[in-house]
Amino acid sequence: MNFRFSGRKISGILTVLPANEVPFEAEIANYSVSPAKSMKLKLAMGYNKHRIVAGDVCASDLCVFGLEHLFAEGLLKKEDIDALVLVTQSPDHFMPATSNIIQGRLGLKQDVLCLDISQGCAGYEIGLLEAFLLLGQESIHKVVLLNADVLSRKVSRRDRNSFPLIGDGASITVLEGGAADSEIYANVKMDGSRADALIIPAGGFRCPSSPETGAMVEDENGNLRAKDHLVMQGDAVFNFVQVEVPPMIESLLRSAGLPPDAVDYFMFHQPNRFMLHKLADKMKVGHDRMPANIVENFGNASSVTVPLAMTFNLGDRLTRERLKICMAGFGVGLTWSSVLMDVGPLEFCGMIDYA
Amino acid sequence: MDYDRFYASLAEILEVERVKDEDIFRQFDCWDSLTKLSIIALAGSEYRTVLRAKDLDAMETVGALKAHLEKNGL
Repeated sequence: MNFRFSGRKISGILTVLPANEVPFEAEIANYSVSPAKSMKLKLAMGYNKHRIVAGDVCASDLCVFGLEHLFAEGLLKKEDIDALVLVTQSPDHFMPATSNIIQGRLGLKQDVLCLDISQGCAGYEIGLLEAFLLLGQESIHKVVLLNADVLSRKVSRRDRNSFPLIGDGASITVLEGGAADSEIYANVKMDGSRADALIIPAGGFRCPSSPETGAMVEDENGNLRAKDHLVMQGDAVFNFVQVEVPPMIESLLRSAGLPPDAVDYFMFHQPNRFMLHKLADKMKVGHDRMPANIVENFGNASSVTVPLAMTFNLGDRLTRERLKICMAGFGVGLTWSSVLMDVGPLEFCGMIDYA
Repeated sequence: MDYDRFYASLAEILEVERVKDEDIFRQFDCWDSLTKLSIIALAGSEYRTVLRAKDLDAMETVGALKAHLEKNGL
C-alpha cells in the first residue's frame, strides 16, 4: 500500500532511554551456553550493553517524563497538542488506552484525539503515517507521536536468543504542517500468515496467563522461556528481512523517482548488527549510510530504534541541516514499512535518560 | 556453481581448514544457531536460495546442502 503526502513535517524528535545500562558480561551467567560461545555470539550479533527499565516502569512513565521535559524546556506547549498517537506493544493496561492514561497524567485538554496503535518493529513508520493522515484535518495542527515499549519485561532472562538484544525506551516526535516543497512517500505491507515468527504466546485472551504459561521450558538451543515470554524464530525473521525489505525500498525510491544515491541516510529498524549489515550489503548501500550501531549501545527497543538511530547519529546535524532520510521498519506482524522524506532543520533532536 | 568457493565459504563458517561432502554438520564444535544462520545468510546471498532452519536441520551433511543448492540455487 503506497501513501503520498505533502505539506507536513517533523518539527522535533526526543528519545527517552532508561538510565539503567547493563553490559552483556553481567548477564552471561544466565545463559546455559559456554562463555566462549556467548562471546562469539556477542561479536557476530553486535550486542554489548542494553538499556532496560528497572522494576515496574511502564511505557506511560517514559512518555510522561519525556513530554514534561519538553514542556519545561519550552519546546512544546500542552495546549498545542491536538492528537496523541502512541505506538506500543507493552501497554500499561488492557484498558484504558495508554495514550488516554498519558493524557490524564499530563492534564492535556479534552479536545485531543488519543490513539493507541499496536505495532512494533515497523511502528515508527506506521505512527508517522497516522500522524500525516490526521494532519489532513483542518482542526489538527500538531500531532505528538509517541513510540514506547518496555518489552524487556516480557523477555526471559534465560533466553540468549533475545534477551541480550532487547532494549526499552520511548520517543516523542512532534509533527505539524509544513511547506509544500517536498513530498513524503511511504509504503506499508502486511503478512499476518507469518504471525508466529515473533510472538508473545500467552497473556492475552487467546491464551490467558496461568501458572502453566509462566513455567520455563527449554528449547532445542538451550534457551529457557515461558509462554508468557516473547519468542522469535530467528531464521524466519532473517529470511523475511532479506527477501522483502530490498524490493520495498526499491519500489519506494521508484515511486519518488529518486536513485538510492539521493538518500542521505537509511535509518532502519535495528534488530541486530548481523541482519542490518547483511541487508545493507544486499541493497549495495555502504554501512556508513545505514547505521547499525543502536543495538550494541542501547538494545533493540522495537519501533523506537528508528528515531533513536536519528537522535544518536544525527542529533546535532538535524537541528541545522535538511537531510533526505529513508526510514524502514520490519518485523512483528509480520509488517514492513518505509517512509522517504526530508527531515530537518528540527527545533530539537536529542536524547535524555529516565532515572 | 563455483564449488571451490562453496567449500571455502563453508569451511570459514564451520571454523575448520577444509570440508568434504561426507562431513556431518552436527559433529562440528561450532554447530549452533549462529552457525546455522550464517549458512542461511550464505544460501541467500550467494546462491539465491531461501533456507529455513528446519530445512537445514534435515540436511545431515555438507553434501546434502550442496545438493540442495545445486537443485534450487545457481
